[in-house]
Amino acid sequence: MRAVRVVGPDATAAVAHIASVLDGSVATVEHLDPGTPRTPPPAADTAYGLAADGSWVGVGENQSLTTLLEAVAGHDYALVAGAEARLPAVVLGDATASDILVRAESADDLDLDHVAAEIATLDPRETLESLVAVVKADPAADRAGAIATFTGRVRTRDSPDDAPTERLEFEKYEGVADERMATIERELAERDGVFAVRTHHRTGIVEAGEDIVYVVVLAGHRREAFHAVEDGIDRLKDEVPLFKKEVTVDDEFWVHERD
Amino acid sequence: MVDVRLFADLAEAAGERVVEVEVPAGATVGAALERLCEEYPAVANRLFDGDAIRRGYTVAVDGETVESSTALAGDELAVFPPVTGG
Repeated sequence: MRAVRVVGPDATAAVAHIASVLDGSVATVEHLDPGTPRTPPPAADTAYGLAADGSWVGVGENQSLTTLLEAVAGHDYALVAGAEARLPAVVLGDATASDILVRAESADDLDLDHVAAEIATLDPRETLESLVAVVKADPAADRAGAIATFTGRVRTRDSPDDAPTERLEFEKYEGVADERMATIERELAERDGVFAVRTHHRTGIVEAGEDIVYVVVLAGHRREAFHAVEDGIDRLKDEVPLFKKEVTVDDEFWVHERD
Repeated sequence: MVDVRLFADLAEAAGERVVEVEVPAGATVGAALERLCEEYPAVANRLFDGDAIRRGYTVAVDGETVESSTALAGDELAVFPPVTGG
């Protein structure tokens, strides 16, 4: 799923225009003002309405954008209007953003083909669930009795008195890192009894408690699945040109300088 | 001219992610590294321990590790520190 935010005076209109030219399923997230009335049942955090024809509405409280984006990760695109987020931005009018994908005066001035092309260049956001869905759809899945997964996440602290890590930042050697990961996936999938392997490593800023890397293996039986997932993460950490910077409350450093 | 792509603290030391280094046609990787170090002493410090490249640091062409004696064929060298993904 590729996620983009749209910021500026007529962001909502721009989202509608862009959604109309994207080829694939699209989820949109509209920024709600805190005062906007909404009424989930008092005891519910999240309320959906589902009609017999499959149409539905959802309403709720205490939701973060990150969690919401994970919930829609099965879509091909997410367009987020107005909200603050670490996402590449389509910027309209006088609005500002730190990661600008496309700029335009207004929603009507957008070159939609250009926007769609720029969105296509973004790295997709994967979740554990989206990678599991991919391997389940593999042609060999009917012979697979096992799926084993590994999730690497940002550890806030190593020990009780360790200075807490606020975030990690990952830089990658574009192209080469992706090739190496594809090679690892392919070589593991060549093993007897292993049918499909998918990996994903986030780049840029990853906050404390968030996931960094996934390795997902589809196999005939559990023994091969466990071995492949272990070897997958070990090889990724050993061979893929990715570089980690750690930011704690006290300090900021490239991890290879401290090892 | 050869482009040298830098990463992490090496890029920070140079102030750039990609730097241009002037070497004659047919020069070796080693010659390009020497020029790089002359122009960017801060990078030299991090990349070399005396005359030898520090353990774990990689010099690559098209993603493949190369020796100092290798002749430069293409136009891009990459220099990066020990990998720390995952």
